Amino acid sequence: MLFSKFSAAAVSSSSATLFLNPQNRFNFAKKTPSIANPLLCNSLRPIVEWSFSKRNCSRKMDASASSRTVSPRASAEQLKDPDQLIDSVETFIFDCDGVIWKGDKLIDGVPETLDMLRSKGKRLVFVTNNSTKSRKQYGKKFETLGLNVNEEEIFASSFAAAAYLKSIDFPKDKKVYVVGEDGILKELELAGIQYLGGRYEDGEKKIELKPGYMMEHDENVGAVVVGFDRYFNYYKIQYATLCIRENPGCLFIATNRDAVTHLTDAQEWAGGGSMVGAIGGSTQREPLVVGKPSTFMMDYLANKFNISKSQICMVGDRLDTDILFGQNGGCKTLLVLSGVTSLSMLQNPNNAIQPDFYTNKISDFLSLKAATV
Amino acid sequence: MDGEISKFTIEEKLSCQSLTPQTTVNLLDSVDVFLFDCDGVIWKGDALIDGVSDTLDTLRAMIVFIICVGKKLVFVTNNSTKSRRQYAKKFHSLGISVSEDEIFSSSFAAAMYLKANDFPKEKKVCLSVTFFSFSFFQCRFSSVCFSIKIMLLILAQVYVIGEEGILEELELAGFTGVGGPEDGKKTAHLKPNSLFEHDKSVGAVVVGLDQYINFYKLQYGTLCIRENPGCLFIATNRDAVGHLTDLQEWPGAGCMVAAICGSTQKEPIVVGKPSTFLMEFLLQKFNIPTSRMCMVGDRLDTDILFGQNAGCRTLLVLSGVTNLSDLQDSSNHIRPEYYTSTLSDIISLFNNYQSSF
Repeated sequence: MLFSKFSAAAVSSSSATLFLNPQNRFNFAKKTPSIANPLLCNSLRPIVEWSFSKRNCSRKMDASASSRTVSPRASAEQLKDPDQLIDSVETFIFDCDGVIWKGDKLIDGVPETLDMLRSKGKRLVFVTNNSTKSRKQYGKKFETLGLNVNEEEIFASSFAAAAYLKSIDFPKDKKVYVVGEDGILKELELAGIQYLGGRYEDGEKKIELKPGYMMEHDENVGAVVVGFDRYFNYYKIQYATLCIRENPGCLFIATNRDAVTHLTDAQEWAGGGSMVGAIGGSTQREPLVVGKPSTFMMDYLANKFNISKSQICMVGDRLDTDILFGQNGGCKTLLVLSGVTSLSMLQNPNNAIQPDFYTNKISDFLSLKAATV
Repeated sequence: MDGEISKFTIEEKLSCQSLTPQTTVNLLDSVDVFLFDCDGVIWKGDALIDGVSDTLDTLRAMIVFIICVGKKLVFVTNNSTKSRRQYAKKFHSLGISVSEDEIFSSSFAAAMYLKANDFPKEKKVCLSVTFFSFSFFQCRFSSVCFSIKIMLLILAQVYVIGEEGILEELELAGFTGVGGPEDGKKTAHLKPNSLFEHDKSVGAVVVGLDQYINFYKLQYGTLCIRENPGCLFIATNRDAVGHLTDLQEWPGAGCMVAAICGSTQKEPIVVGKPSTFLMEFLLQKFNIPTSRMCMVGDRLDTDILFGQNAGCRTLLVLSGVTNLSDLQDSSNHIRPEYYTSTLSDIISLFNNYQSSF
């Protein structure tokens, strides 16, 4: 609800408050696309086989479609005994936006909760779909918020894109065209992969649709990586489209497909799903998604830290990315209501994704404990 | 609805033959109205395709023996960047005389859709006004005294992610269009404590080809669809790419529409081809059964599918986005009745037939 207050003038006997009555509702019901997609699957399969790859090759436009492959579960339980959950797992994976922070504001009780978990010997990992920053930049963000988190514990979808390309031995002589922000560029640089685009300047480039005008593109681009990009424009769309359609074997990789994201604490913003949708619309190809709910990052960190997935609890605020990610990976799942999902959304009959547990925020680990003492 | 929509037998539908002199004559004999796509059929970007002008003239004034069997010509284009009036101008600048009411653009379709569905010019918004009283003696606001509900009529707006064509057609139909190319200069500021505002009176978002697409528009359209109750999401068309210049293909409306689908997780109402919405207008105009109409286009999943869905004859030309191997590819399930290289083949094949006597 949005309202504006007219503050009373110096001396006045009344003030008026205006309320606009319609409530803001987000419809979870999804429909299948009406236009047939001639090319349903990305013909180039990655060398590394993951469980997600078959699900991602579906004709549905959004990631949550893979929820249809998960059989209906029992309703989520409200978290009453955090100790039992904490003792049953070795590792906690946390989403960031809506779980740890909202925009640039830390959510109440987070530092103490993380400290408590560490003191119990739990491994903490942070997995975010937000590709605007690199791991290093996220490390800095954690630091400025007063949280003790190591870069090695952070897995952003920007890192995932670079890690994926490394895992398939992306050729050294090929380049990556980036429709996205700084985070992706930094991670590619760290991985030693050449890139084009992504810079603010590409956001300033104009095209002129006039006779005889032709946009050239680099034939050595072997992959296009698409993520959230606030400098999105027609030039970038055309460049990416030309690479994908005309460079043989060019990969189309998406960092994530989140429809909306909390880039500021006050409201939702059109997310990576929008940019990825645009490139999907002009190329008529489905991307390889490396961010949640794809289990690429889960497999990567399970491998890296040598942990078994049944020993992991995924904590997130979004059903169709975080919780689905945990379920696809075979982990326990905990939904927090401090982000984009409300209790009524969880309990909506149209919602098929049920986490194991739900609670208000992660500091409930401490407050619920205190209550039982 | 006037006219009838008839379906062909499966064999005829799957025939897909190259036009010959004989089949050309048969086609001309059995068709009274030709529906032409524009991009890739009439022109490529701003360059007229060879032989088109003569072909159109000949079709209009066709005389067989001494009988005038001139065809009616109509242009059905998914390109929403121009209005009908602007298209008539483009034809004129290319030396072809076409009147506005022979043109059916997807920009026109969007405005007509709103009209046909009684999109309100105004919207009722309920405001609740609450009065607090300020006590001088206690120097504070006391509790609510009374509140009244006011119904306000405000202009219902249509937010446009697209170009001038859509805005002009909306205006002609009496609607208030906002957004469009102007918003291409705006930027969205992502700052803490700053709110991206959007107009709550927007009752529909129309998305078409937009070369000035940017994050501001994506965000504005997304907020309207997600937060304004009952807000319609209309797509002029979903073409993936098109020949916006003569030398190469460029991303089409399908791109912008998919971007909004990606952020709203909703599917749009599509008013352009292959939806048969525009056919309603054509039937009203001509009162001729669709079986006596022939759709000529360069794209299988819009032009030919539109023709088939409406029960028309279909002719694919290979002068645009589709080449022979695309047509013959095993993954393609859309088979037009006929195909030929370019539009002017109709007349050269017809002349061929004539001269064989």
